[in-house]
Amino acid sequence: MNYDASLWLIFILIGLATTLPRAIFIVLGNRVALPSVVQRALRYAPAAALAAIVVPDVLVVGGTLEVFNPKLAAAAAAIAATALWRNPWLPFIVGMGVLLGLRQMIGG
Amino acid sequence: MHSSFRSGAREGFIVFLPLSVGLVPWALVVGMAMVSAGFTPLQAMGMNVIVFAGTAQLGTLPLIAAGTPLWLIVTTALALNLRFVIFSAALAPGFRGVGTPGRWLAGHLLTDGVFATCLDKMLQNDDPRWRLGYYLAPAIWSWLLWQTFALLGIHAAGVIPKAWSLEFMATIALIVLLVPMARIRPMLVAALVGGASATLLRNMPLRLGVVVGIIAGIAAGFAAEHWEHRRSPR
Repeated sequence: MNYDASLWLIFILIGLATTLPRAIFIVLGNRVALPSVVQRALRYAPAAALAAIVVPDVLVVGGTLEVFNPKLAAAAAAIAATALWRNPWLPFIVGMGVLLGLRQMIGG
Repeated sequence: MHSSFRSGAREGFIVFLPLSVGLVPWALVVGMAMVSAGFTPLQAMGMNVIVFAGTAQLGTLPLIAAGTPLWLIVTTALALNLRFVIFSAALAPGFRGVGTPGRWLAGHLLTDGVFATCLDKMLQNDDPRWRLGYYLAPAIWSWLLWQTFALLGIHAAGVIPKAWSLEFMATIALIVLLVPMARIRPMLVAALVGGASATLLRNMPLRLGVVVGIIAGIAAGFAAEHWEHRRSPR
């Protein structure tokens, strides 16, 4: 894919969207406090957002739901490796191994 | 440099150094993922320097590659980094006596690992210079590691064949982040609802399904937390 100059605008806006949450209270100091309801709701944002990106990616192949596909098997292997072992490299090795292995077998 | 800044920096660096190796696979994967999404090495390093937020970088890559509208990309990045609002609020008292530019720098450099390292010590020490040193040494070290290994990843991805599906490493990286979160039950509910609704709503225009999924997930997690409290009141 080729990208034009607008890609740099995207980077700058993502940069703002990631720096503002980090900096806001450090910069404002103790002048403002966050309501505890909001604080509690915010805790769920990353899990919801990560899943909203990952789950469609591993369940959908070419626009249609396909539960039995190499990506889902690879994701399951990566989840198991993360849950069972502390080694930070293993989920990548196991997940990519399953993905590429299954694709070889299927021939796709 | 003031001597108490230096002693704070030395102490912070020593505490953080063993933890910092965890950044290496991450930075490599993010570097490779950016190239797999079609960025040139310059564009990839540009994103890495400007954004400096691994999860948001990995999470927005598929959206950028799919030509998703800008506001949706930005909203997703924001959602992925919202946890830092809480970290930022918790750390804020540690920056008493530090000027505004220093605070912006500290905010931009905030990462999960630096937060975990600095929280207790920064709130306990009375010397603002010591505290700033204790924060900045791990923060700047993280930044250097991140940029260096992302650059390595970018160059590694350039020589690896397309058939190896390197872009899936980004998905695995997001899974690695998600699994420990999902050990807490309401968090698991948030993830399941967020993931399921984003999947079911994938044909919504403008990839709006992702944002609706995030909102549904937050609501579900919050509801599950309430429900759990009512079942086991303490």
